[in-house]
Amino acid sequence: MDRRAFIKVTAITGTSATLANCGNPEHQLIRFVPDEERVPGVAEWKPGLCPLCSAGCGLLVRVMEGDAEVLRGGQTGVMKMGLAKKLEGNPAHPISQGKLCARGQAAIQLTYHPDRIAHPLKRTGARGSGQFQEVSWDVALAELVTQLDGLAAAGNRQSLAFMTGPSTGQRGELVSQFLSRFGAPPALSYEAFGDEVLRRANLMSFGRSQLPTLDLPRTRYVISFGADFLGTWNSPVAQSAGYGHMRQGRSGVRATFVQLESRMSQTGANADEWIPVRPGTEGVVALGLAHVLLASGLRPANAAGRAGAVIDGWSSGLSAYTPAEVERRTGVVAARIERLARELADQRPGVAVIGGAPLAHTNGLAAALAVNALNALLGSVGEPGGVNFMPQIARPGDTTRSRGDQPPTLARMTADILAADRSPVQALLIDDANPVFTAPPAWRVREALVKVPFMASFGSFIDETSVLADLILPDHSFLESWTDARPESGAAVAVATLAPPAMRPLHQTRAMPDVLLEVAGRLAQPLSPALPWQTFDEMLRAAFAALPAPAPDADAWSSAQQQGGWWGAPAGNGLQIVPVGLAAPLKLADPQFDGAVAEYPFHFLPYPSQAFLDGRLAHLPWLQELPDVMSTAMWSSWVEINPQTAARLRIAEGDIVEVASTQGSLRAPALVSPGVAPDVIAMPAGQGHETFTRYASGRGQNPMKILAPLTEPETGALAWAATRVRLSRVGGPTGELILFAGGMAEHPNVRR
Amino acid sequence: MTGDTPDRRISDDLLRPLLTTSARFYVLVAFLGAIVAAGLVTWIFQMYQGFGVTGIRWPIFWAFYVTNFVFWIGISHAGTLISAILRLVNARWRRPVTRCAEAITVFALMIGAMFPIIHLGRPWLFFWLVPYPNQRGIWPNFRSPLVWDFFAISTYLTGSVLFLLLPMIPDLALVRDRTTGTRSRIYGVLALGWQGTTKQWHRLESAMQIMAIAILPVAVSVHTIVSFDFSMAPVPMWHSTIFGPYFVAGAIFSGLAALIVAMAFLRRLLHLEEYLHPVHFQNLGKLLLLMSLLWAYFLFAERLTVWYGNEAAEMAVFEATQRGSFAPLYWTMVVCNFVIPFPILALKKLRTIAGCVFASCSVLIGMWLERFLIIVPSLGHKYLPYSWGTYRPRPVEIMITISTFAAMALLYVLFAKFVPIISIWELKVGMHPPHPVSAEESEEAQQLWRTQP
Amino acid sequence: MAHRWGMAVDLDRCTGCEACVTACRAENNVPTVGAAQAATGRAIHWMRVERYWEGEFPDARLKFRPVLCQQCDAAPCEPVCPTYASHHTEEGLNAQVYNRCIGTRYCANACPYNVRFFNFFNPIWDKPLHLQLNPDVSIREVGVMEKCTFCVQRISAAEIQAKADNTPITDGDLKPACVQSCPATALVFGDLNDSESAVSRLSRSSRGSKLLGDLGTQPKVTYLARQSQA
Ligand SMILES: Nc1nc2c(c(=O)[nH]1)N[C@H]1C(S)=C(S)[C@@H](COP(=O)(O)OP(=O)(O)OC[C@H]3O[C@@H](n4cnc5c(=O)[nH]c(N)nc54)[C@H](O)[C@@H]3O)O[C@H]1N2
Ligand SMILES: Nc1nc2c(c(=O)[nH]1)N[C@H]1C(S)=C(S)[C@@H](COP(=O)(O)OP(=O)(O)OC[C@H]3O[C@@H](n4cnc5c(=O)[nH]c(N)nc54)[C@H](O)[C@@H]3O)O[C@H]1N2
Ligand code: SF4
Ligand code: SF4
Ligand code: SF4
Ligand code: SF4
Ligand code: SF4
Ligand SMILES: [Mo]
Repeated sequence: MDRRAFIKVTAITGTSATLANCGNPEHQLIRFVPDEERVPGVAEWKPGLCPLCSAGCGLLVRVMEGDAEVLRGGQTGVMKMGLAKKLEGNPAHPISQGKLCARGQAAIQLTYHPDRIAHPLKRTGARGSGQFQEVSWDVALAELVTQLDGLAAAGNRQSLAFMTGPSTGQRGELVSQFLSRFGAPPALSYEAFGDEVLRRANLMSFGRSQLPTLDLPRTRYVISFGADFLGTWNSPVAQSAGYGHMRQGRSGVRATFVQLESRMSQTGANADEWIPVRPGTEGVVALGLAHVLLASGLRPANAAGRAGAVIDGWSSGLSAYTPAEVERRTGVVAARIERLARELADQRPGVAVIGGAPLAHTNGLAAALAVNALNALLGSVGEPGGVNFMPQIARPGDTTRSRGDQPPTLARMTADILAADRSPVQALLIDDANPVFTAPPAWRVREALVKVPFMASFGSFIDETSVLADLILPDHSFLESWTDARPESGAAVAVATLAPPAMRPLHQTRAMPDVLLEVAGRLAQPLSPALPWQTFDEMLRAAFAALPAPAPDADAWSSAQQQGGWWGAPAGNGLQIVPVGLAAPLKLADPQFDGAVAEYPFHFLPYPSQAFLDGRLAHLPWLQELPDVMSTAMWSSWVEINPQTAARLRIAEGDIVEVASTQGSLRAPALVSPGVAPDVIAMPAGQGHETFTRYASGRGQNPMKILAPLTEPETGALAWAATRVRLSRVGGPTGELILFAGGMAEHPNVRR
Repeated sequence: MTGDTPDRRISDDLLRPLLTTSARFYVLVAFLGAIVAAGLVTWIFQMYQGFGVTGIRWPIFWAFYVTNFVFWIGISHAGTLISAILRLVNARWRRPVTRCAEAITVFALMIGAMFPIIHLGRPWLFFWLVPYPNQRGIWPNFRSPLVWDFFAISTYLTGSVLFLLLPMIPDLALVRDRTTGTRSRIYGVLALGWQGTTKQWHRLESAMQIMAIAILPVAVSVHTIVSFDFSMAPVPMWHSTIFGPYFVAGAIFSGLAALIVAMAFLRRLLHLEEYLHPVHFQNLGKLLLLMSLLWAYFLFAERLTVWYGNEAAEMAVFEATQRGSFAPLYWTMVVCNFVIPFPILALKKLRTIAGCVFASCSVLIGMWLERFLIIVPSLGHKYLPYSWGTYRPRPVEIMITISTFAAMALLYVLFAKFVPIISIWELKVGMHPPHPVSAEESEEAQQLWRTQP
Repeated sequence: MAHRWGMAVDLDRCTGCEACVTACRAENNVPTVGAAQAATGRAIHWMRVERYWEGEFPDARLKFRPVLCQQCDAAPCEPVCPTYASHHTEEGLNAQVYNRCIGTRYCANACPYNVRFFNFFNPIWDKPLHLQLNPDVSIREVGVMEKCTFCVQRISAAEIQAKADNTPITDGDLKPACVQSCPATALVFGDLNDSESAVSRLSRSSRGSKLLGDLGTQPKVTYLARQSQA
């Protein structure tokens, strides 16, 4: 060490050390405390409810005191308040069982997001310009009331439309009661990756318009047709918990798991046997298995009962589904079909499950019915280790779910709006939905919404839909307000989750249900009959008071607040449902695809991203930086291409490729993956937002924007797996594809 | 004796650079100084912005800076080690060479020693590496090779500074006597009151002998310890017993190359053609040839055992260097360190001054690449392939690297400006056998002395 | 009541859901570095789920493996650290003393598992995201090395509590964030000194092995092999 260097360094030391330490207080390093003097922070644990998907996992929220900069009465100040610090699963909760998925862990960032809308906004610029001005709640509410009074005065009440997310609790109930009493049509709920097809199939097969609950802990054999039940489908946490138990929870018994799909999902990666299938032919495989079971008399034909009866050709033993025929149509070898059928018959209880892409074809409903029939044939329905339906709590005037009648669909609404020169929807309220982002281009959702004279959003963020709103009435975060949910699946008992606010609001926001109730009260002509509650918690109190008391001395309402909900056997025997029959048994037709094979040689398979689902979570930095477990990509979107296909088209990892359908094209980096069929191009949904906070805006590509508008005819659900595309390399790597991992294989240079 | 004795001409020639300053000198110093300044600014920028402005990344946490560290410490072996050996074997041709060599050592060490600090995440705390008595009774972790480095380098630096200064004393005295005023006074102080008495000559000679012997184990241990920075860590192709000798050989190899280049550079710049003869380059060239062969042998031994052992993790690194993404650099290294220098230095008619210099430059490039290729590919290919990565340098580390070469040149030029770069008295004594220094010779030496005004 | 905290990872339960990864980030104030930095290899994940492909389509297979600091008993990252910032605690944890770390990054090179991460810049939490920060966990400044601590703040909290009520910590009560969140219960944490604890029993399993065990790092994390008949 020579003196000159020494002096240089020490000179710099002072300045840079000061810069490093004094600059930002949170960079002070922890100070030395002898163990006996170290005092851990005092934490309070409050019940919560994960709002991110309809699984409705119960939470425990770790709340600790902290200094928050909050806006109160116009001026900001630092306020000591309880702050949510960490989310954990609620161990008492029958669905989450003390666990959470990666998304649930990140839900807390919704509350503290820097781009949250902090106060009501009124549009100033042109629609979609994103120019808003801050207004007071009085102004905002007055505006909304005026609009609704206007509709009432014009005798045009049915021109009020309400678009919601998948809400299973009193929140949804309040919306539907508000609408019916106002005289408006029921709320419209649209989810790109929704499960309407499966609910309909279950209604037809079993009389339950409900997602199944898999009894994995007790099963010995799982055959899954594209269901990503460990990742994004149905009730992932509950299913993962069951999966862990079915693998290693029972001494001596380890269940077998077979997955059939055309792109390896995170769930498929865990299968003992992963079987690629031609897209849209999953139902054929199911019926092929049923054929073998019937033909070889492994199961009695009548075992399937009603579920079998709704399948065309069941009575005649599915003669059209011989293994050879199935091999020809699906690409699954005949011998394998026979073996699988035998395993299904031998290793019982077993369960067949279908979800995701197989349902997103024009023949999705029939495919679901086929799997239902297979389950019934196996005697797995309602049996231990099989598929069950979670008891539901009957709700007086239940209008949202479980009736056969079809709620309005997004496609139809937009079509109507665009058709008429005066929009049939005069006022649109949007809560927790972003159809502009997730709908196929042909539905022209954006165009349609722009045609609606008045549009108000309860959103907490400016996204592709709320940016079009005239008025934004920002909701509290789930941690700042009363929340509840009544999930349809994931547990053996009925569950009504309840969570009081875990912390005080950070911003000038208001809970959407309270806003609705207040508006109801302010209307010129009050709703008839009027809604009997002043605030949402009153409604919740009433709803929970109606539930059976958990113990003689405790009432359901107060115990629910403490333990985070109510669960048990519902009064009576739960929700009774009138099954809708079918005129004739349904035939499993060949799937229709958009785009001629010659011109569009590849199947295009979008799939819900493990981190972002359909894109609603792309604004959470923790999830953006979470390496996708299959690709290890962060902050990216990509197109998955089979190695042979890539080699044939001279596409290398990271190259920019163009994927074009009849609807349009997109350009994204290529990811070469052995887990996707050579004639399939897979792409995660979620990225490609135009405007969705600083973290998601302008990042990656949205596969939905090239989807064809094909639907499953019975339900009108989007057949999002039915688009064909062509693929071409348009350029070298741009660095858009950010991968965490270096290597693909564990032993790359073992010489074979 | 009168007028223009050869001795007097020696003094005149070798003192000319000190006494007359050309414009070229200022231009050169300004140019080099600017580059060094740029490097310094870059480093401050790095400290201010954060280490992220470099290309360092997970999992390649060491790259250019540690490469430079090892490289410069290697270069430092030119001097002291070489001149010590030559002194001990009493090679007569060494006389014009030794000081150039010893100077290289001191400067290369100073530069090399900067890098352990430059590469710190929090350089302002570098002194935590230093064992100093303190209130909290906190000492560094003596098990850490980085702390060994501290001891090794500081010892070697002290040693080689002494080794450089001792034989400078008589020449400083000479400058003192040849100059006037402040300058004379400054040199007077530096000359430590040298009068050239018999006693002083004896003291000097024996001190030189002791230093020459003492410095050898230090020099060898220094680069062995530098090699421990790698071989002590369980990293594929680092954790190797061959590293000690391999690094020492490499050090001497690159050191010699640096010496040859430096000498040629001075020969040109200071018109020392009469003193630095082709034979000097010839001999150093032979040494360089020897080291090139030795280096090739070590490389072969290391690579062969790895390949033959075929251990998965090591093979990953092996493949990456031999065939994979690092292959171009790897084979460039082989060409620079062996394919080019070998024929040039082996064939007498090619072993000209130009030839030697060319070979040496090639070796310097090759040895820098060698250090880089020892460090980076291994870190990029550790045991779990999921965590593999690749490294690209950024302007910051490139600039700082360049500036250290400028710093070396600058220090050297300044040194040559203020101290006779060739040991005047040794040259003279060389012309007055017999040796070892007898009473008569030193008597005679004093005669020479007094003849000079 | 000397503890020896350890973990078992059941690869036959692990589904690759990465709840552990986010849970760790949330608990330990692990910063996000953003797209630009992530692209240059600066992302920090104390817990990662490695995935390895085997075979080609249609017989492609995938393996998941959660990798965190193995809390080695013979930790290569410790002797190389010149300041004792990486040091062994009485309980055998590999502790990282951030305020002593000067950023040589030697430990990260020495760690065979590449589970050590470096702060290339001062971490940033866009306000008010910083309100989520866990006050029990220190924030690491630029130039400092960090890694999985086995959620030492939870460990010490539990131990302090246990000492206060002087009752032993019951097996399963103390869980690091990743373990607590893991939906499939693939991660099990506990005291290896208690031969009856769940983690001890699993660590003795015939499916059990240590990651890179032959390097002699003596990890306190045991991996239970995935069973498969395909
Ligand atoms: N060799 C050497 N030893 C020293 C010093 C030195 O300079 N050199 N400095 C002394 C000084 S001044 C100090 S302050 C101490 C500091 O060293 P320590 O106090 O030992 O370590 P700390 O980082 O302060 O954290 C204290 C304890 O908290 C654990 N810990 C680490 N990260 C976290 C976290 O995020 N949350 C919680 N709750 N605990 C955590 C550590 O494992 C350690 O057991 O070291 C002292 N010892
Ligand atoms: N960059 C960096 N920052 C750190 C740390 C680090 O390791 N690195 N460590 C952090 C930690 S853990 C700690 S504990 C703090 C320690 O940092 P400080 O609290 O600043 O403690 P010291 O720097 O050890 O000493 C502070 C001053 O007190 C003086 N002093 C010594 N004895 C006495 C006395 O009897 N009376 C008075 N009045 N003064 C006295 C010392 O000479 C010194 O100037 O720094 C924290 N900040
Ligand atoms: S599954 Fe995950 S996202 Fe869905 S509710 Fe549960 S925790 Fe939240
Ligand atoms: S949370 Fe559990 S199951 Fe999910 S990846 Fe981590 S270890 Fe595996
Ligand atoms: S895993 Fe790496 S960081 Fe952890 S103790 Fe072992 S060597 Fe150290
Ligand atoms: S980076 Fe920090 S912890 Fe690692 S060795 Fe260097 S000083 Fe020690
Ligand atoms: S033990 Fe704690 S610190 Fe380590 S990975 Fe798990 S959560 Fe992160
Ligand atoms: Mo301290």
